[in-house]
Amino acid sequence: MTQMPEGPMNAPTRRRLLAGAAALPFLPRPALAQKRGGRLTVAADSEPPNLNPAIIASNGVFFVASKVIEPLAEADYRAKDGLAPRLATSWEGAADGRSLTFTLRQGVTWHDGKPFSSADVAFSALEVWKKHGNLGRAVFRELEAVETPDANTAIFRFAVPTPAQLIRNALPALTAVVPKHLYEGTDIMRNPANQKLVGTGPFRFAEWRPGEYTRLVRNPAYWDQARPFLNEIVYRVLPDRAAAANALEAEEIQLAAFSAVPLADLDRIAKVPGLKVYSNGYEGLTYQLVVEINHRRKELSDVRVRRAIAHAIDRDFVVRAIFRGFAATSQGPVPKNDRVFHATDVAGYGFNPQRANQLLDEAGYPRGEGGIRFRLRLLPAPFFNETRQFGDYLRQALAAVGIDATIVSNDTPAHLRAVYTDRAFDITVATPVYRGDPAISTTILFQSGLPAGVPFANQYGYENPEVDALIKQAAATIDDAERVRLYNAFQKQVTDDVALVNVAEFSFITVARDNLLNVSNNPRWAVSNWADTGFAD
Amino acid sequence: MPLGARSEKFFGSFFQKRTSLLFRLLATGEGLAGLTMLAILLAVALTAPWLAPGDPLAIKGDPLLPPWQTMAHPLGTDRLGRDVLSALIHGTRTTLLVATAAAAAALGIGITVGTIAGFLGGWVDEALMRVAEAFQTVPAFLLTLALISVTGPRVPTIVLGIAIGAWMQPARITRAEILSLRERDFVAAARVIGMRPLEIAFREVLPNALTPVVSLAAVIVAAAVLIEAALSFLGFGDPNRVTWGSMIAEGRTVLRRAPFLSIIPGIGLVLTVLAVHLTGQGVAKALRTRRIAA
Repeated sequence: MTQMPEGPMNAPTRRRLLAGAAALPFLPRPALAQKRGGRLTVAADSEPPNLNPAIIASNGVFFVASKVIEPLAEADYRAKDGLAPRLATSWEGAADGRSLTFTLRQGVTWHDGKPFSSADVAFSALEVWKKHGNLGRAVFRELEAVETPDANTAIFRFAVPTPAQLIRNALPALTAVVPKHLYEGTDIMRNPANQKLVGTGPFRFAEWRPGEYTRLVRNPAYWDQARPFLNEIVYRVLPDRAAAANALEAEEIQLAAFSAVPLADLDRIAKVPGLKVYSNGYEGLTYQLVVEINHRRKELSDVRVRRAIAHAIDRDFVVRAIFRGFAATSQGPVPKNDRVFHATDVAGYGFNPQRANQLLDEAGYPRGEGGIRFRLRLLPAPFFNETRQFGDYLRQALAAVGIDATIVSNDTPAHLRAVYTDRAFDITVATPVYRGDPAISTTILFQSGLPAGVPFANQYGYENPEVDALIKQAAATIDDAERVRLYNAFQKQVTDDVALVNVAEFSFITVARDNLLNVSNNPRWAVSNWADTGFAD
Repeated sequence: MPLGARSEKFFGSFFQKRTSLLFRLLATGEGLAGLTMLAILLAVALTAPWLAPGDPLAIKGDPLLPPWQTMAHPLGTDRLGRDVLSALIHGTRTTLLVATAAAAAALGIGITVGTIAGFLGGWVDEALMRVAEAFQTVPAFLLTLALISVTGPRVPTIVLGIAIGAWMQPARITRAEILSLRERDFVAAARVIGMRPLEIAFREVLPNALTPVVSLAAVIVAAAVLIEAALSFLGFGDPNRVTWGSMIAEGRTVLRRAPFLSIIPGIGLVLTVLAVHLTGQGVAKALRTRRIAA
């Protein structure tokens, strides 16, 4: 195998540097030589039947598809605007917010040999992202036309002024470009290429054996000729979390992302020689642990009761005991790691059961028989071990201030129906995802007037005209600084109202063999293209 | 059985027979061991609020304390810092409650259906037995799981779910016993004095058919304990109560780090099922000696 040195060799200090990397997510990664070749086997827990990232922006899809189909730009720790170019090499928004011009990369070919051009971008934007994208639909709603003056330029034209900042923040997750020649004139949702992917990425889709594995192979015609380093990536289906840890130790797999190894097992895994734990590389997909509140319930419509609930929760305990330290406490709807939008001056609700009791007394709910003020139905989302455990914790935390919560457990479809369609809950434990811009999937949690049945949205009966006005105004504001100001005001307002209780921000853990290099080196690493990842020489 | 035994008299002799059965049961080694273990478990279940006061799900200490370290938590704590000993004690309650209630319900449904089918015969028998067979074609656990995923996991639905999966065997055994008894002279005599068919079935015939069915109770209780644990393990238990199955499920995520969290409730399950099985064996043995003596 040819050696591809990427920088000065400093192998002797590698262990020590890497050992600290988990604690310091932004530590500059030592540049090391990775060799060309090798097969990387990774743990996969699900096999989405539709793998088209242009339609389904979800981490389960991206985990595989991002290696095959590329977006216009990818998130980056250091580059300008936090974006590294992929299929677009540069982008420029017009001052009036009505157009955005992309300069596209030249010399790119699809995996089937056809050349890539601006026509593919125009088709993807208008026919796929805007019409079928689960999140793209909202972001590109006002996209009117895409002009293609030449093969390397695409000009997006919007019907109303659209913030360039929002489109930029949406580039990594919502702009996967699919080949026009395979999709044009077909039923896009049923196109076979949604499963047998054809893209421009560093890896080609080779085969899918349901229940066994999905295999990707190196694209020898990748536009960055120095990359990728790996010959193959194999996603082995290991739905049992305990199996992933064992497979890593047995060297059957070399990488387990998305906390496939249970957090509780990490202390032990971290000590296994040859394995390394990364807690960074997920900043672009922060999950938020929140308590959703049904404002239609009489007791909960009182802001004092909601504040009491916020005060009853010991966030430090949650981070320490449930997330074993791999999370951060949270007080507002924008996570701390978004240094542009995160507002620091929001109302904080520290752990204070005394204050909570006092607020509940003031609200007119004295302790009755058995010390109980009132009863609630608590529906913990069944999505993660941690949401269930937090449900158990929350029941105890509320009992301490005289609120008797009965846990109602459901499977995922029943939970989604109960909360987002039937609204048959009092409080729930949920995990909305923050995707780099409040307008992508966060403001929808607070905006009023949504029809029943829209999941992961405000089905809570929270209504504040001021908040609605701020959301509307910010969506049409094209000045970056003004947007930030409006979203700060928005965060302040919703935390004052305790529309939801934000408890913690968590992401995931990657465990990999320590001879695998360039792991977790961008904010969306697990769902990026892995072109620079390779085994140490 | 003397001809024309009236019910009061009959039940009197039935209970007399029971007590002597109890002595014979205690005389067998299995029966003595099983009953002693069951008595201890029952005592723990009944005195749980005094043995471990307060909510067993309350967070009492640091998470994941190992056992035998502090007096406050002799069996350690789980991932959220809940006391394992109180959970174990209160788990005994749920386990025994669900298992005995489910077994009682299964026997109740089974005996009723079996008696009606066996005594009335004809199309009623055909219809009821076809229904029982239909239920028997589906594995009991899947039946229970399906019922609970529709109705939601609460103790009454779990009891009903387990009973729905277990009533067929008592029904068939009762029916077989009734079939052999209904042609006896005392049944004919009861008909002559003008008793209605169902009255004869339940007051005259059933008590004589009961003994082999009751010895089936042990098997059903043991199965119910395990089904309840399996349901809780899969997350279909009542989340507001502690059960041994949910303790094992909770401990599974930290199996390598804190195996005691799964092992301790596992020992509880083993002992309970063992106690029930030993008692069942003892009952069978005692019944055999009675038959030989008779």
